[in-house]
Amino acid sequence: MPYHEFNCSKCIPERKQHAVIKGPGEDLTSALPLGYLNTIPGSISERGCAYCGAKHVIGTPMKDVIHLSHGPVGCTYDTWQTKRYISDNDNFQLKYTYASDMKEKHVVFGAEKLLKSNIIEAFKAFPNIKRMTIYQTCASALIGDDINAIAQEVMDELPGVDIFVCNSPGFGGPSQSGGHHKINIAWINQKVGNVEPKITSKYVINYVGEYNIQGDQEVMIDYFKRMGIQVLSTFTGNGSYDDLRSMHRAHLNVLECARSAEYICNELRKRYGIPRLDIDGFGFEPLGQSLRKVGMFFGIEDRAKAIIEEETARWKPELEWYKARLKGKKVCLWPGGSKLWHWAHVIHAEMGVEVVSVYTKFGHQGDMEKGIARSEEGTLAIDDPNELENLEAMEMLKPDVIFTGKRPGEVAKKIRVPYLNAHAYHNGPYKGFEGWVRFARDIYNAIYSPLHQLSGVDISKDEIPTDKGFVTRRMLSDVTLSPEIANAPARPYSGKYDIIPALRKKTADDFPKFEEDKAAVA
Amino acid sequence: MKEKIAQLEDYIMKNCLWQFHSRAWDRKDQNEGILTKTMQLLCDEKVEVETPADRCYWVDAVCLAEAYRERFPWVNEISKAELKEVMKGLKERIDFVTITGSLNLELKDPHY
Repeated sequence: MPYHEFNCSKCIPERKQHAVIKGPGEDLTSALPLGYLNTIPGSISERGCAYCGAKHVIGTPMKDVIHLSHGPVGCTYDTWQTKRYISDNDNFQLKYTYASDMKEKHVVFGAEKLLKSNIIEAFKAFPNIKRMTIYQTCASALIGDDINAIAQEVMDELPGVDIFVCNSPGFGGPSQSGGHHKINIAWINQKVGNVEPKITSKYVINYVGEYNIQGDQEVMIDYFKRMGIQVLSTFTGNGSYDDLRSMHRAHLNVLECARSAEYICNELRKRYGIPRLDIDGFGFEPLGQSLRKVGMFFGIEDRAKAIIEEETARWKPELEWYKARLKGKKVCLWPGGSKLWHWAHVIHAEMGVEVVSVYTKFGHQGDMEKGIARSEEGTLAIDDPNELENLEAMEMLKPDVIFTGKRPGEVAKKIRVPYLNAHAYHNGPYKGFEGWVRFARDIYNAIYSPLHQLSGVDISKDEIPTDKGFVTRRMLSDVTLSPEIANAPARPYSGKYDIIPALRKKTADDFPKFEEDKAAVA
Repeated sequence: MKEKIAQLEDYIMKNCLWQFHSRAWDRKDQNEGILTKTMQLLCDEKVEVETPADRCYWVDAVCLAEAYRERFPWVNEISKAELKEVMKGLKERIDFVTITGSLNLELKDPHY
């Protein structure tokens, strides 16, 4: 096994089995790190907890819901401002965050009364919101509060409200991924099948494992609507609580982030016979093929092809502009889970960058299988890395940019490696054809930012050239390009600053009418 | 034969996701469903698409067969009998890499 041992982790020998470098001729049967195990004591992990995985990743993107943590107020850290799963109802789920505010006395005497009063207070404060999710935390789990019983009491007392309880305390798994699993199963057990939806198309899907980061979901839903497909629910970005109770009526589950949401797809497949189709929403080729597959499933491939043709003609030349300038740049692809495999091959193929390392904070070995399979030889793959290992990897690999979360990203900045936010994005959405160009634009801006060059000058000792002015990104990026490419008519990204408002303004009249679909529904 | 199988395997591992479901039994069903249908498409045989599950396998098979025809000209040139042998070898190889030879410790978990 081509394990890689970090110098900084020699004092934690177990860490060696969590990093591999894929060598020549090696495949997944000889190069795969361990994964989804408890973090080894002494390794300062970057992972979140199982409560965070349930609430902050999957539960809270639901938009028309009061999301309440039953625990100390500190558990609501990572809500305000730190998540970017926007919604088309004025970001209700991001603007307001709730905790029952458990304190020491509640640990001693119980917090069920406190919880009940909090639930009622929240519903009174927002009389138009009739749905709530409640999340167990370590503290409320350890004292044994019966959250389900309290939720039922409130539902009996307040007709019209519906409450979902997720028992996924922080300690309920090695990482946030344990929480993903728990909330998937809890949702299908408690809520799916409780609401009968209005079916308006012959073609009905659930769009699963999509969290509407900076509008990703809205871009994809637009494509599906243009194909005449009814999206019954989105699990869970920009998703509606009641729509998600009717998931059992879809004909197909279209799955993006298998790491966080394959469980509910698998259960829907077993319980209701709805097949699961895994897709890639990132990159021209994978996205095009994904839309085609969904179209083929319903016998409407021509509609997908029309979208692909139109979008490719509009945006591909701009992607090519960036590809010419990003070719050969070294990238560390260090996201949380699924993006290591969603992006590994396609940023290489479509943007020309070299992925020198992939890591996952909370992914399973299955995620590493996908990521390593899609990476080139020599790629360093790390499971559950710590900060020192990241620094050592960056010193060894000398990447031009890393794609990661904001905390490891800020560490990278300190050694003058630019980073892009792989979780919440810099200037997304990144899904969709235009989104992919926006991603390329952000990578270009990160790598060629003149600030990074200036930050390397130590004014206390370096000589400051006074005969040179400030340089631009273009001056840096085009210096090695051939004149034909540098002066080609292709152009950089020409879209709007924010592309989501235009999508939200669309009405039914803006989408194609397919008479044959309506007739079938009637 | 080995080189041909390696080319087809490499395409799947780089571009597809269907072979990486979470459990061994699930991967077995996926590999069987999609690679059998791919072989049938490449050999101009009848493909069953009656059930939703079959349709789901079929869409992945159509994309795979198309990619093979486009990227590997020899796929269009060899005899059907030889192509079937290659696809049989590919199925065995994918089963090995993703199931029987896999180092993924979660494959045998009885639950999802």
